[in-house]
Amino acid sequence: MESDGKGAYVLSNLAEVVERILSFLPTKALLRAACVCRLWRECARRLLRTQQSIAWVSALEPGPSDSHSLVRALAEELENVHVLPQTVLYIADAETFSGYEECHGQKRARKRNSKETAIALEKLLPKRCQVLGLVTPGIVVTPMGSSSNRPQEIEDGEAGFVLLFPKIDGVKIHTFHFFKDLKNRVFDESKFTEAGLKNNPELRVVLLFVYNSWKPGANRFLHQIINPLNEKSIILAGGHVESLTSLSSENNTEAGDSCGVVGLAFSGPQLQSATVLLDQDVIDERTVEAAMQRLKAANIPEHNTIGFMFACVGRGYQYYKTKRNLEADAFRKFFPNVPLFGFFGHGEIGCDRIVAGNFILRECNDIKDDLLHGYTTVMTLIHLGSTKANQV
Amino acid sequence: MPLSEKNSVVFAYESSVHSTDVLLRLNDQRKQDFLCDVTILVEDQRFRAHRSVLAACSSYLLSRIVGQLDADLLITLPEEVTLKGFAPLLQFAYTAKLILNKDNVSEVCKCAKFLGVHNIEESCFQFLKFKFLDCKADQQECPRKKCCTSRCEKANVNVALVDDGGLEIDDEVEELLETEYTATPNSKLSKGEENAKVSPHLQDNTNQTCDPAYLEKDNVSGLFSLCPKYRKFQKAFGSDKVHTAEIGSSIKNDQVTSATSIHQSESFNDAIQKAQECTAVQLVSQCEETQVEMEEREKEEELKRESVSQSISYPMEKTDVASFPPNFSVAPHELYSAPFLNAYEQYSNLNFSSMQNTVVAEKTVTGTVVRNDKPVSENQDDSLLKSDLCTREDISITSTSDRSSVEREVAEHLAKGFWSDIYNTETACQMRLSPATAKECSEPVYSGKKSECPWLGISLSESPEPCSQRTFTTLNSVNCPFISNLGTEVCSNSPEINSGDYIQEPQQEQCPYTCVISLGEDSETDTEGDSESCSAREQECEVKLPFNSQRIISLSRNDFQSFLKMHKLTPEQLDCIHDIRRRSKNRIAAQRCRKRKLDCIQNLESEIEKLQNEKASLLKERDHILSTLGETKQNLTGLCQQVCKEAALSREQIQILAKYSTLDCPLSLLISERERTALDGKPVIPLCIELPSGLSGAVSASEQSSCYPCVRGTSDTTYNQVQELCPISMKTSEKTLLVEQCGQGGGITDFCQQMTDKCTTDE
Repeated sequence: MESDGKGAYVLSNLAEVVERILSFLPTKALLRAACVCRLWRECARRLLRTQQSIAWVSALEPGPSDSHSLVRALAEELENVHVLPQTVLYIADAETFSGYEECHGQKRARKRNSKETAIALEKLLPKRCQVLGLVTPGIVVTPMGSSSNRPQEIEDGEAGFVLLFPKIDGVKIHTFHFFKDLKNRVFDESKFTEAGLKNNPELRVVLLFVYNSWKPGANRFLHQIINPLNEKSIILAGGHVESLTSLSSENNTEAGDSCGVVGLAFSGPQLQSATVLLDQDVIDERTVEAAMQRLKAANIPEHNTIGFMFACVGRGYQYYKTKRNLEADAFRKFFPNVPLFGFFGHGEIGCDRIVAGNFILRECNDIKDDLLHGYTTVMTLIHLGSTKANQV
Repeated sequence: MPLSEKNSVVFAYESSVHSTDVLLRLNDQRKQDFLCDVTILVEDQRFRAHRSVLAACSSYLLSRIVGQLDADLLITLPEEVTLKGFAPLLQFAYTAKLILNKDNVSEVCKCAKFLGVHNIEESCFQFLKFKFLDCKADQQECPRKKCCTSRCEKANVNVALVDDGGLEIDDEVEELLETEYTATPNSKLSKGEENAKVSPHLQDNTNQTCDPAYLEKDNVSGLFSLCPKYRKFQKAFGSDKVHTAEIGSSIKNDQVTSATSIHQSESFNDAIQKAQECTAVQLVSQCEETQVEMEEREKEEELKRESVSQSISYPMEKTDVASFPPNFSVAPHELYSAPFLNAYEQYSNLNFSSMQNTVVAEKTVTGTVVRNDKPVSENQDDSLLKSDLCTREDISITSTSDRSSVEREVAEHLAKGFWSDIYNTETACQMRLSPATAKECSEPVYSGKKSECPWLGISLSESPEPCSQRTFTTLNSVNCPFISNLGTEVCSNSPEINSGDYIQEPQQEQCPYTCVISLGEDSETDTEGDSESCSAREQECEVKLPFNSQRIISLSRNDFQSFLKMHKLTPEQLDCIHDIRRRSKNRIAAQRCRKRKLDCIQNLESEIEKLQNEKASLLKERDHILSTLGETKQNLTGLCQQVCKEAALSREQIQILAKYSTLDCPLSLLISERERTALDGKPVIPLCIELPSGLSGAVSASEQSSCYPCVRGTSDTTYNQVQELCPISMKTSEKTLLVEQCGQGGGITDFCQQMTDKCTTDE
């Protein structure tokens, strides 16, 4: 009895002890614990503020349930992450995401299913976070757990990942969405300003994902968006995806049928990023490694950094003479502790460029469309600032 | 807060642009050699700069500068610092921007290290080094691996050509040569004329008649004449003569080209010797051709090296090729056009942009130009008349009637048969573009080069390696006047243009190219729906056939027939081949049709957008104008009031003013104004009485009638509120306006009524 009373006294009065104990809890449990009393709430709040590293959930194996394995994985894993997501990017493979063939043969049924899966995913996430969801023909994912796990290129089969970005001091992550409005053919530049892509001197990296790019006029539309962005000293990377499944910041009703661009804009002075393009003469292990070496030479810090790989559906297994996972492995070889995410899409956006704290290195022979590629791979590193500096 | 503390508060103003601005101004000063107090000597070149800037940027220079008191200091940098490395660094010191390319990156890196330049991070050099290293490796190794088949075949081609060129030479070339022979006498006659004709276009040139450059020019234009198909092309241009002249002049203006022409003339002589060894004309031509080719290659190697050294600014060899006028750029293309074309086929379905298309087309055009050059030179050698070259041109320009209709037909067939095939497949999917694919395209050319002659290989490694992405884009921004001339037309004319190329094609096809071609097919079937329509039957027939169906399709009619003769085929095979050919033709036609439709749609789309933009802007303008109109009106009324008030005009004066004022100026306003002033002057009723009489002289009767009651009304209302002048005046003016509108309103409504009546009756 006495000891119980002592324990209760400590746990309801000594903030340091409580904080220490609570720090072992994953975020969801922490939030529940925050309801106990005022002291615990204060401790939980302080703890939440320190959780600034990225977490991710990945699904590589087809699950037994009737929903996408990513939904199940996210539901399980959200209980364990030490992160309160503020921005979420999820990418899943197009085929299984929109439902199983054996259940629904018809197209309509499958479409509805894709929406349902998206909603199921969104429901799992906190209400206030921005969710950007895409489906692509293939997925590149690092298995959960350690960031030094071997990344997998999954060109075929059920897979997906969810990247959870917490609120990071000094880094702002916006989602944006432009789509081709059939009524208003002139692209309004003011939308850029709204999305924080214009008059934003701290903008460093923009990840662009184009959907429905096969529609007529999509190319011109894309150029309208990319060209003004390319004039700035920022990293542009991304690709053409199969379709957009969710974007929580808006209710996109009319956007579904026309082509559009969604993306994430990273801004903040502490961001560092580099990108390389593996073009068509990168055809074997040696040349891939040379390209990775180049990326390595950009000297981007490797902690608190994520790697993105946007590849063409035409690359991968077949392209490298039936060598699997070659590009991802090369990446792992040079960046042993950087998680790699990405997809196989219908076209890539990117170039060779470095945007670091003190300098910018880019090609200066202004070719307008040197960003859009096909049959290539774009590898990008984004360093979100040193976590130590954040904790101080 | 105590007072003393309040006073000691300090504010800091910080400008964010100051530092860059200062640097900019310093750079300007450096450029104008203003206030520069140090001269840096690097490899015999002097750079003027400011001591303070240099000392602030480089620790090495700081140590050199410190303690030096001379008014004008001269610093000679040691050998480690090269010109190439120092110039960008100096620029960096003043602009914070470092321009690096493949050429200078290592030297800049070395110099930066040596000089201890601040704020340059090693990692960027590393990155670039790897990048350029990559490029080199890719260029030298990967393509070679990829295209080794084509290389071997290429070698075979040459052998085959030399060995049994006489047997395999196709009718087409023969025919051409013959026509040339017959045409020479005519051309000789009109040679003088031609000179006179061409010279005005070549005013820059000082030596027009016997200069080798001139010969060269004529040579080039002569080739056009040689190829009857080219005439179609010329026709498409409308003014062929001017065009050829332009080309000629562009060539002439270049010093390098004159050099080549000298070389060429030398090679002609050599070729003559070779020619004497052979007896059969066809054999001769073949041998010569290969010989000339070989020699030209040599020459071009030398020239290329020269040019590389001359034009450091060109980052890559390919640019050189592009930037030098046709006769120079031509040779590599011509030599390797076979692999090139194959490569082109191969990648044609990889969605070139139309831009790139045209560039490639242009390239092939230039290729054809010199290809055709060869027969010319042969003829020339036979007749040992170099001046004939001039006359060739003449033929093309003046004698249209010389050409038989048969030839024209042949030309058309060739045009349709070969190039259109390739061209259309590409344009069918021209929406997507990627420089990378273009790059792929260029690679085989490279490898071909290497295979062909060892010198090129050397020059490749010597000359700055193209980061091949840029290759095509630099081609786009053509320096070559020839290409730029073509640029606009090529899109529409390319089938015709490239027909010329075809003449050479059969020769090279004699040896097995199937490997490469089938490669191309594979990729075609991957992406392109049309080639899938090459049905299973075609595929299976292909198995039986000793050659590729692609080849059947690509051949022109004549070549096709000669081709069939060459191979002994069974009737089934023949049938199959004919079938394949027929279907491919249909397919090409359909593709062309589709392409036209797509173009049309695209044009319309852009048109619509343009118009919509225009509409939007017009609407905006209208709104703007309306708003300004309202503003102006308001201003006007205000001004009127002011004027009337200030001038204190008498009634008569106001009336006169009202009479002479424009329609825009509301009379009623003036009148009401007048009333107001009248009210100020107190006697209201007399005014009312006086008014009609006063107006009667100046204002028309109708106006009188409208004004009079209003005056009554306003005077009544205003009388009660004499003190508040301004608002009242406003009110009055409003009222008068209203009244006037009422007066006119009747007429307007009547008119409207009439109009509606009319409309209804019409309906």
